Amino acid sequence: MNYRTVLTICPYCGCGCGMYLPVLDGCLGRPIPDKTHPLSQGRLCIKGWSAHEHVASKDRLTKPLVKTQGEFKEVGWDAALDLVAARLLKIREQHGPDSLAFLCSAKCTNEENFLLQKFARAVIGTNNVDHCARL
Amino acid sequence: MTNSAPEIEDADCILVTGSNTSENHPLISSRILRAKRKGAKLIVVEPRRIHLARFADVYARQKPGTDVAWLNGLVHIILAEGWEDREFIAARTEGIARLREQVAGYPPARVEAITGISPAQLREIARLYASAARASIVYAMGITQHTHGTDNVLALANLAMLTGNIGKRSSGVNPLRGQNNVQGACDMGGLPNVLSGYQPVADPKVREKFEQAWGIEAAGGGSGSLPAKPGLTVVEMANAAAEGAVKGMYIMAENPILSDPDVNHAREALQNLEFLVVQDIFLTETAALADVVLPGSSFAERDGTVTSTDRSVQRMRRAIDPPGAARADWEIVCDVANRVQRNTQHATRGWNYTSPSQIMDEIARLTPSYGGMSYERLEREWLRWPCRSLDDPGTEFLHQGQFTRGRGLFTPVDYREPAEKIDEQYPFILTTGRIVFHYHTGTMTRRSPSLEREVHAGFVELNPDDAQQRGIRDGEMVTVASRRGKIEIKAQVTPTVSRGVVFIPFHFAESAANVLTTRALDPVAKIPEYKVCAVSVDRCQHPEVVMKCQV
Amino acid sequence: MNTPEVEIRERVRQLLDDDRLPGVLGLRAEHGHVGPHVFNSADDLTALVLEPRYGMALVCQAILDGSPKGRLGVVARGCDERALIEMAKLGQVDLARLVLIGLACSEQQARECMCTRPYPRRIDVGEKVAGVAPGDDARVQQLLAQDVQARLAFWQSEFNRCIKCYGCRNVCPVCICDACVLEEMCWVERGKIPPELPFHLIRAYHIADKCILCGACESACPVDIPLTTLYALSQARLKELFDYEPGLDVTQKSPLTTTLEETPLHEL
Repeated sequence: MNYRTVLTICPYCGCGCGMYLPVLDGCLGRPIPDKTHPLSQGRLCIKGWSAHEHVASKDRLTKPLVKTQGEFKEVGWDAALDLVAARLLKIREQHGPDSLAFLCSAKCTNEENFLLQKFARAVIGTNNVDHCARL
Repeated sequence: MTNSAPEIEDADCILVTGSNTSENHPLISSRILRAKRKGAKLIVVEPRRIHLARFADVYARQKPGTDVAWLNGLVHIILAEGWEDREFIAARTEGIARLREQVAGYPPARVEAITGISPAQLREIARLYASAARASIVYAMGITQHTHGTDNVLALANLAMLTGNIGKRSSGVNPLRGQNNVQGACDMGGLPNVLSGYQPVADPKVREKFEQAWGIEAAGGGSGSLPAKPGLTVVEMANAAAEGAVKGMYIMAENPILSDPDVNHAREALQNLEFLVVQDIFLTETAALADVVLPGSSFAERDGTVTSTDRSVQRMRRAIDPPGAARADWEIVCDVANRVQRNTQHATRGWNYTSPSQIMDEIARLTPSYGGMSYERLEREWLRWPCRSLDDPGTEFLHQGQFTRGRGLFTPVDYREPAEKIDEQYPFILTTGRIVFHYHTGTMTRRSPSLEREVHAGFVELNPDDAQQRGIRDGEMVTVASRRGKIEIKAQVTPTVSRGVVFIPFHFAESAANVLTTRALDPVAKIPEYKVCAVSVDRCQHPEVVMKCQV
Repeated sequence: MNTPEVEIRERVRQLLDDDRLPGVLGLRAEHGHVGPHVFNSADDLTALVLEPRYGMALVCQAILDGSPKGRLGVVARGCDERALIEMAKLGQVDLARLVLIGLACSEQQARECMCTRPYPRRIDVGEKVAGVAPGDDARVQQLLAQDVQARLAFWQSEFNRCIKCYGCRNVCPVCICDACVLEEMCWVERGKIPPELPFHLIRAYHIADKCILCGACESACPVDIPLTTLYALSQARLKELFDYEPGLDVTQKSPLTTTLEETPLHEL
C-alpha cells in the first residue's frame, strides 16, 4: 500500500484554489480541498472537485503523432521533434522569422510559458507570441 | 487584481459588473457573499440576471455594450452631488478637469436612453459606491470583450480614482482572470509586445538585458539580436495565416478552433498553414488540424508555478507521471529549442534546464516583479508580485501611496456603439460566456463525467417573450445564425436574459458559439467583441424536443 | 506535561516501531500547508500536526479499499471515530483493520465545532471535556424561536447561495450510495444553480439517522450554508423520539431502518 497526498493547484479558473491530490498505488483519487489555502480554505467548486476525472480519460495522448496523407501515425519522440525543428527552420529560412507564430498557454506553468516565448524570440527571432488571455 | 482575493470579504461596497462571479470564479464570489453577510452593499450591473443578482442591493440590467455610458453617468452624478474624494483627487491624480467636462455629456436621462438603466437606479449605485469607505470593483470579460473594452476599463479606473477607492485594503479595481495561469502567461511574456514582467520588446535597454542573459550576441549567428517590432496577437495570427503571411504555428495547450471568434475563419486560417505543431493532452479540435502533435502533461503531472488572478505565485506539484510517452511541457520546449539550435549557428544560452526551479531562477533574474521569487521561498512564504528582492515580502494590494506612473491620470472616454448592430435579419444581440459546470473550450471538462452529467450540450438562453413571439418552446432545437455562420442548439427559455438578448456558453464544439461571433477587435487591447454580435433565432424545421426528465 | 502533538507523535512512533504497523494516517505540515498523510516511518514525525481538523474516515476508507489486507493506524478525534463506526455499520470499512489513536478535543475546539461529543470512546491523548448541548447553539435557538414559515424562508435564502459543488456530499462520511440521487434528473434538475430545495432536503433525510455531526459538510461549503445547524436539529429530534445517536456502537441499528423479518407489516 502506497498512499500519498500531493499539494497542488486546481487547473481551472484563475482563483487558484488549493487541493491535495491523493495517489494510491499510482492511481489518482478525488481531490481533497486544502484547508490551509488562504483563498479556498478547504472549499472547491464542482470543477475543482472533479479535476482528477479528465486526467484518466482514455482520450489522453500518449505518443507523438505525425500526420501523413491526412492520417495521424504514432511516432517516437526523436522523429517528431526532428520533424518539428526541421519544418520550423525551413519556414524561417524561406519566409523569415515573422512567418512563424507561437501560442503560449494559460493552462501551462510560468516556467513553460517563459520558455516558449524565449524560444520564439531568442531562437526563432519573432515576437509573434500570444495566448488566449483575450479569449 | 489590485487587491488580494481574500481582502474582498472586508469591502463595504462591491460593484460587480461583466463578471458572472459565482459561476466563473466561485471561490471569489464566496468572499463577495461573505462581505454581503458582514453588511457590505452589493451592486450588480449585468445584462443577464446572474446568480449574484439575487443577493444584490441594486441589480441593474444594462443593454450589452453600453458600459462606458453608465460608468460615465456614475461619474456625472458623483461630481454633481459632490460625492467625490477631493483629498485623493488632489493628492494622487491629475486630469479631473477634463473628466468633469467630458462627463457633463452623460446626464442620467441620456444614460437611460443608451443603457436602459433608470436615473433612480443609477443614482442609487453612485450613492452606494461613493459613500463606502472601502468600495471594490470586480469585473471580468463582460467588461473587456468589447471593441471598446479598453475604454470600459478606463471608465472603471476613473470611477475608482474619483472616489479614492484604490490603493487601499479591500478597495480597488479587480479584474478576475479566467484561467489558472492566464495571469502568469501574461506575466511571462506570452504576449506579442512585451517580454516577461511587461518589459516592452520595443525598448532597446530591455532587449539588451535579455540578449546578454540569453547569450544572443555571443552566438553570432542569426540576426544577433532580439526582434524589436511587436508581433501579432492571437486573432491577428489567424488573419495572417489566412492571408498566407504566417506559414507555421506552434500551439502549446490552446484550442483556438473553439476559442477564437468566427471559428469558421480560424479553421480555414489554420488549414492554410504550411506547418502546424500542437502540444496538448488531448486531440483537440485544433490538434486535429496539426501536422505534428506532441503529448504534454495534465495538471496532475505538472511541476512548476502558476500565478492566480490576485498575483499569488503558487507551486503545482507532480502527483503522477504522464501516461505513456507523454512528457512535461517544459522538457518538450527545451528539446525543440535544442534541435533547432543544433541545425543553426544561432545558439542561445540556457536550454539545459534540469528542473522548473532553475527556470524560475532565470525568470527572477530577468523579471523585476518576480525578482525575489524562488522555489525555496515559495515553500514557506505566500508571495504575490511585485516581489522585487529576496527580502521583499510581496504585495498584497497595489498602488498604495502612488501609482506606477506617479499620479493617476483620469482618462475621459466616450461611449461608442458596438461594432455590429442588430437589424431586421439579425434582430438579437448575442453575448457569450461560461457556465459553472464547464471551462473554456471544454477540452478537460467535457471529458469529466461529473460535469458532463450536469450539462452535456450547449444551449441558447432566450427571453420568454421573445420565445413566445417566435413560437419557440423551452427545450426545443433552434437555429441561431449570424453574418458568419449558423448553429443548431437547444433553446432555454428564461428571464435570465432580457428581451432582444440571447446568451450561449462557448464550451460546446457541437454548437460552437464562436461560429457566430465577430472578429471585430478593440483597437488597443486587440480583444474580440465576444459580448455583442447580431444574430437571428428561429425554430428548426423539425425541432427535436429534448425531454426534461430522463433518469 | 507534553503537548497533545508530542504525545500523539509518541503514540504513532510506538505503533510504527513497536507494533510494526505499516502506516498511520494523520496530518502533516509540509510546504507551509497541512493535509492528510500516511506516516510510514518514525523519522518524519516532527511534521505531524493536529490542526486544522480534517475528516479522516473517508481517507481511511480509500486506503483500506485500495489494499485488500493489512492494518492502518489513524489519529482519530471523536467525530472521526463516530464516522468510522457508522461507516462500519453500513459495510463501508472494516474496523478490525484499523488501529485508532483516540484524541480528545479541547473545550475551545468543541465550541468551534458545536460538537456534542468531542472525544472518542477510548482516549489516548487529551482530556475529555463536555460537549456542547444542541440547545447551546445560538443559531439553533434563534431558529427554534421562529415559526415554520420564517424558518423555511431562512433556509430558502441560505440554500439560494448554493453553487452545487457537491462538496457537502463529497466530504460526508455517511453519504454512501453508489448512485447518488442528487445526480438524478427526476429529483434535482441538472445543470442549474442554485439547485432546487430537494437537493438539500434529500441529503438531509438520507443522512437523518446517520449524521454524526462532524461538520465536514459545512466547512467544505464554499457559500457558508450552516448545514450543521440543519442536521443538528434533525439529530436532536432523533434523540428525542428514539433515544438514538448514530456513531456510538456498531451493533446499534438505526430506528428508521428495519426489515420485514424484524417488523412484519401487520405489526406496524
